[in-house]
Amino acid sequence: MTTAEHALVVRDLRKRYSQVEALKGISMTLPRGEIWGLLGPNGSGKSTFLKCVAGLVKPDGGEIQILGETPSRRTKAQIAFVPEVESLYRWMTVGQVLDFTAAFFDDWQPETALELLEFMHLDGKSRVSSLSKGMRTRLRLILALARRAPLVLLDEPFSGIDPSSRDRIVEGIIREFKGEEQTVLISTHAVGDTEQLFDSVVFLAEGRVALQGSAEELRRSRGRSINDLFKEVFP
Amino acid sequence: MKRFLKLVRKDLETGRLPVLLLSGITLALMVWARLRLVNAPAVVETAESYWPSIYLVLALAVPVTFFPLWLIWRSVQTLRLEWRDDTIYTLLALPVPGWQIMLAKLVSLCMEYTVLFAVATGGALLLFGGVLNMGTALPGPSWVALNIFWLYLGGLLLFTALAVQTQLAVVVGKMVGRVQGIVTLWVWILAVWFTSRLAELLQPLFRWLPVLRLHELMRLDELETQIILEVHPAGQVGFWLATIGIFALTGVLFERCVEVND
Repeated sequence: MTTAEHALVVRDLRKRYSQVEALKGISMTLPRGEIWGLLGPNGSGKSTFLKCVAGLVKPDGGEIQILGETPSRRTKAQIAFVPEVESLYRWMTVGQVLDFTAAFFDDWQPETALELLEFMHLDGKSRVSSLSKGMRTRLRLILALARRAPLVLLDEPFSGIDPSSRDRIVEGIIREFKGEEQTVLISTHAVGDTEQLFDSVVFLAEGRVALQGSAEELRRSRGRSINDLFKEVFP
Repeated sequence: MKRFLKLVRKDLETGRLPVLLLSGITLALMVWARLRLVNAPAVVETAESYWPSIYLVLALAVPVTFFPLWLIWRSVQTLRLEWRDDTIYTLLALPVPGWQIMLAKLVSLCMEYTVLFAVATGGALLLFGGVLNMGTALPGPSWVALNIFWLYLGGLLLFTALAVQTQLAVVVGKMVGRVQGIVTLWVWILAVWFTSRLAELLQPLFRWLPVLRLHELMRLDELETQIILEVHPAGQVGFWLATIGIFALTGVLFERCVEVND
């Protein structure tokens, strides 16, 4: 099997921020067509890992291959990354945000974007600055889901938002997941309601992989849910 | 091209409010100075004999002293705000070359400069042209337009070079974890030194380029014997080569070395 058949291959990834070693040699291989959960408590290295893959942070060591290529301008076009932070231009309207994103990504699907806008209960004329946190998260999710990107990276999409927004987001991900042609990697420290989403999971602890595998297999072999496993690994 | 224009529009939008504000302040100051000038009897009588009037000096003080500093500050801000507002996540995730992002910021800064220049010169001409009897004292409207154009172009080129050096300084500053301010300042000083040094070093190679005399360029015929201001293109070649090099380097650094983390 060649690496190009995988959506993401990471070997011995390392990253240090001055005194803190955020990633201490992470390795993982994500096949195409699956939804993966990147699970771990705050400070475990989830965001740093996703930023390294998205090309927003430069690793100190190790190797990343996205669809068989090392991170570059070309791979940025293959990735739909939703960061945890509020990364949108606040003076833009929702419609302007969609137009701006559409101009840069050839895989943008305008009809899907409009459908998602309706599904997520967002008005194209609203200003980003006037939206609630949950609405802004939903908008950022639309920017990722309205593309046919082979690799979708969602950093804490359920963090700090109300339950109804969270349900909408989960529904949106399931609805727009493009099967074999797409791989989704979702980082979260709130496994609870989102467990149903994951085909496979990786547990990160202090910058290292603590556990990884198929969600179904882990449930069977350990005799408990992923949520309970999370509590066990991170007491 | 569509992508580049989107980037320019985005950067223009972030500068819209400050430009409007500064334009408003400039015009308000000019109107105030003009009203004071009208109310000063001696000046109204023979404006030329009281040149330079303190009010006119005050009115032009903002464009002359504050605009250049403000524009340099803006060239720092256009980059710095991307980190402060976390929009750097959006910017760095775009599959576009770093030089395009830098160029879009430069273009929007040049447009801001153009607007401010137009407000300052337009305001000065409209409000003070009559008082100073410009219509008869100067050779003609085409002469005024030509010299305003040279003034605009000179300022634009100088400002662009400074903005390019500033962009490099800010980008390198963002590449270090600590003492960003000191690194930014030192890189800026080094960039200014490098451009002037390269200009000096390459000057002998381009001596064959004709010297431009300012009194000919600006048709200041009567001043020919009094002021000899000359522009030496030989020195400019090295200066602009260095500026282009710095711009290219900034683009590469922005694309390959900067991170979203401050």
